[in-house]
Amino acid sequence: MKFDAAWLLDLLHGAPGAEEVADRLTACGFLVELREPGIGGEVWEVEVTTNRPDAMNHRGLAREAAAATGSTLAGLSIDLAEDGPATADLATVEIADPTMCRRFCARVIRGARRAASPEWMQRRLVNAGVRPISAIVDVTNYVLLELGQPLHAYDLAKVRGATLVARRAVDGEVLVTLDGERRTLGAGMPVIADGERAVGLGGIMGGADTEIGEDTTDILLEAASFDPLTVRRAARRLGMHTEASHRFERGADPGLPPVAIDYAAALIAGIAGGTVCRGRIDVCPSPVERRRLRTSAARVSAFIGLETPAERLCEIAQALELEPEGDGGDAIVVTVPSFRVDLEREADLVEEFVRHLGFEAIPARLPVLSTAPGRRNPNWELVDRARAAAVSAGLAEIVTWSFIDPSLDAELAAMPLCPGAPVELDNPLAATQSTMRRSLLPGVLGAVRDNLNQGERAVAVFEQGRVFWQAGSGPAESERLAVALVGPLPGRAGQDLDFAELKGVVELLTDVLGFPELDWKRGGAPWLDEAEGAVLETAAGRIVGLAGRLAGPVADRFDLRPVTYVAELDLGGAAREVPLPSFVELPRQPAVTADMTVEHATELSYAELATVVRDLASELVEDIGLLVRFAGEGLPPGTVRTTLRLTYRAADRSLTQLEVNELQDGLRQGLTRRLDVRFA
Amino acid sequence: MGLERLEEVRASFLADLERAGVDADAVERVRVAYAGRRSGLLQELAGGLRELPSEAKRDYGRALNELKKLVEERLDEAKARVAEGRAASADRRVDITLPGRRLARGAEHPVHLVRRRIEEIFLRMGYDVEDGPEIEDDWHNFEALNMPPDHPARDDQDTFYIGASHLLRTHTSPVQARVMESRQPPIRIVVPGRVYRRDSDLRHSPMFHQLEGLVVDVGITVGHLKATLETFLRALFSDDVRVRLRPGFFPFTEPSAEVDISCIFCAQRGCGVCSGSGWIEILGSGMVDPRVFEAVGIDPERYTGFAFGLGLDRVAMLQYGIPDLRQLFAGDQRLTRQFE
Repeated sequence: MKFDAAWLLDLLHGAPGAEEVADRLTACGFLVELREPGIGGEVWEVEVTTNRPDAMNHRGLAREAAAATGSTLAGLSIDLAEDGPATADLATVEIADPTMCRRFCARVIRGARRAASPEWMQRRLVNAGVRPISAIVDVTNYVLLELGQPLHAYDLAKVRGATLVARRAVDGEVLVTLDGERRTLGAGMPVIADGERAVGLGGIMGGADTEIGEDTTDILLEAASFDPLTVRRAARRLGMHTEASHRFERGADPGLPPVAIDYAAALIAGIAGGTVCRGRIDVCPSPVERRRLRTSAARVSAFIGLETPAERLCEIAQALELEPEGDGGDAIVVTVPSFRVDLEREADLVEEFVRHLGFEAIPARLPVLSTAPGRRNPNWELVDRARAAAVSAGLAEIVTWSFIDPSLDAELAAMPLCPGAPVELDNPLAATQSTMRRSLLPGVLGAVRDNLNQGERAVAVFEQGRVFWQAGSGPAESERLAVALVGPLPGRAGQDLDFAELKGVVELLTDVLGFPELDWKRGGAPWLDEAEGAVLETAAGRIVGLAGRLAGPVADRFDLRPVTYVAELDLGGAAREVPLPSFVELPRQPAVTADMTVEHATELSYAELATVVRDLASELVEDIGLLVRFAGEGLPPGTVRTTLRLTYRAADRSLTQLEVNELQDGLRQGLTRRLDVRFA
Repeated sequence: MGLERLEEVRASFLADLERAGVDADAVERVRVAYAGRRSGLLQELAGGLRELPSEAKRDYGRALNELKKLVEERLDEAKARVAEGRAASADRRVDITLPGRRLARGAEHPVHLVRRRIEEIFLRMGYDVEDGPEIEDDWHNFEALNMPPDHPARDDQDTFYIGASHLLRTHTSPVQARVMESRQPPIRIVVPGRVYRRDSDLRHSPMFHQLEGLVVDVGITVGHLKATLETFLRALFSDDVRVRLRPGFFPFTEPSAEVDISCIFCAQRGCGVCSGSGWIEILGSGMVDPRVFEAVGIDPERYTGFAFGLGLDRVAMLQYGIPDLRQLFAGDQRLTRQFE
């Protein structure tokens, strides 16, 4: 909020220089963000927090400055001369709903000239960010800026029945506000009405019909106090935000209307002439009560961590006009002035003491806490293990949006890892960001495309994050890990990217993450190429991942020209805790390896072949691995040649090659009986 | 003196030459020692000829000539080997300035680097690291934190809503409420995580990351809050960083403090990052409001506590000099690879 620095300093007696006032204000919670030149002095941009409507004006902020600098706040002198008829004979005021309007003051000024406000007033208005308009409007703004009380001036001649009623709107009531907008009101909104119709939105904006004009002579001035919640709801529903609503929403001082209306009337008469009629109308159905709060120096000292005597606390309370009553001992009782709507409880009072003692003065001492080591939530352990595994595979981590385009998301419905119905945002920033992602793949693929567009030739990225869906009990979320590759892999220059390279990365991830044994099953994932796509299934038949080459149409959808491989893992399938490795005695006897080359039909998968070999092999075989797979020249169509390497070892002796050769022969015979294979 | 002596010299020469190998300097030292014009051993042996009786002179002279010939030949051979060795080793030499073939190395996203560094600082201080859902209910995100419906502070946290009862959490603070609902003090936690606000410009992103801290126990004071934040911020930035607490306002803490650090770029002389003020706003904090304790079932007369929160993305931007928040979520691997 903008403040005219000279005005602020004028309200202080015995204040230090501007520099120090600004520093002290910052230290007690009113950050002076910016000091810039204005007309005839500085303009200060000060951050006033939402709980302090009382300081959203020059006098209120000066009160804080006075307390912070040990100076005194200048008194408000109102030079008001009343004359002519009694106000009550010229106009009447009624509060029809005291839950909406707590207090309503009115005055009448007759015979005011049309005039401009004086230069000093205009300067202050401009510095505070308000455009001067005419004497009467400027005075209402000036009083708002000095005291914080919103005022409204009516042309008395246009107020039918010369009466104002504060009531709630009936549904569908129509009002043209000062800004020229025709507004349809909802039931319960705060309305000021005359004898016949609504003439203003209470606490928000006046109506156009009763506006002060060129020919206005008699002015009916209003200063009222409206209920914060009523104003807030109405302003929100109407999409309005005004100087008045801003203050009323945060809490207005019910003690202020009589002061503000007298001040405004005196200023109007002084500038525009005219007569302020005798008497002030002040409708206030329930008296303004002041809260009393108690605490003690011992409680405050213990809470702050700084021994502070009661006298010091009473000094602070005194400077803030809290009227402290000490009993000479420890107890402190204050009576809260009506402008401090934020002070409701002891905690609020203690805050005042902390603000004005200053954080600077509070000694910093680390708390003495129990010495147990900190523990991380298992979910953080899991996701960080996943991230570390992906980094160890040479991938770069990316973070993409949690929300995606619903049309893209819809295509995920057919994917094996799609967890359920999508979660949609009621009020997205953009239609293309309106659905919570059900897979990390769309975000990751978009990133791959962007990276390629940036001129990257190879992309190797992963993302770890959550996916979301509608479960029966409400929205649900779970952790995923996704990988996308455009080859070659980092550190594998010259090695073309293929399915095996992707599978190597995925196997590294599932191993480190302690996934159970997984079956790689062909097909079932429409975003993957049928020839090079797999879902990863546990022995219990649960699909926990997918991996493969991106299908052509999907690649086109993402505008990806180079061959792209992707994988996504549901981290719910990983071990929550990775078991400690357990040591196996190192072998004492040497191993003997023997290779076996098998020619067989393409349909016979490596997994099937290896399973049968394992089944038939001697118990001396400790490992069966693939040496090479060959397809092509020299082989009949539809066949491949697989060379296996078997490692033999006996625990108690060195095996001889002769022994191993015999075992291999036996294995070959067994295989020919079980499978349709030939040996090269 | 005599033939035995010649035999000794011959043996030692062969041994020395053998030892010299293809080292040019060593071979040269052997040459000087045996065949040197002035003080070589052969010269000395030739001098011995005079002292011999005449019948022995002939045999000695012949043997000496044979030795000279052998020394010459062997030295020539050795020199040839030296030259050859030089050429051969030049052939094997690699250009050691050629770049190495790098092993693959991945990289973490800077926001997560910062998260893990901060977690580590607090784990060492004995804090637990907690977690919670990103889709929250109104109670945990707002009401339990002293923000009833229609509270003006809700305006500051523009919210994405999901139906009547759910929303995307606007801060990590709901996890505070969840932890306090589930267990009694002492509580000492930090909560990192992803949060959402309906806001997008150069300084705001609809999705970002926060880390929240909470300590609740008997006798926790404002001084404890201050010391904890100072300790943490010095561990994170540097030992000489200055920390300033300014009174602020958050609905869930009272008193509340905005926390600034002395500008790490200009040593408080004033620069673009701190807008000339010398201070950088880094986190929000305060003493837990008694109303929050009441909402989650902790006795506010018995316990006090403090809480704080900061933006992980903002710390990453500050520490690594990343100018635009949204760059962090563009999925650009070149950005991440800078943090290998």
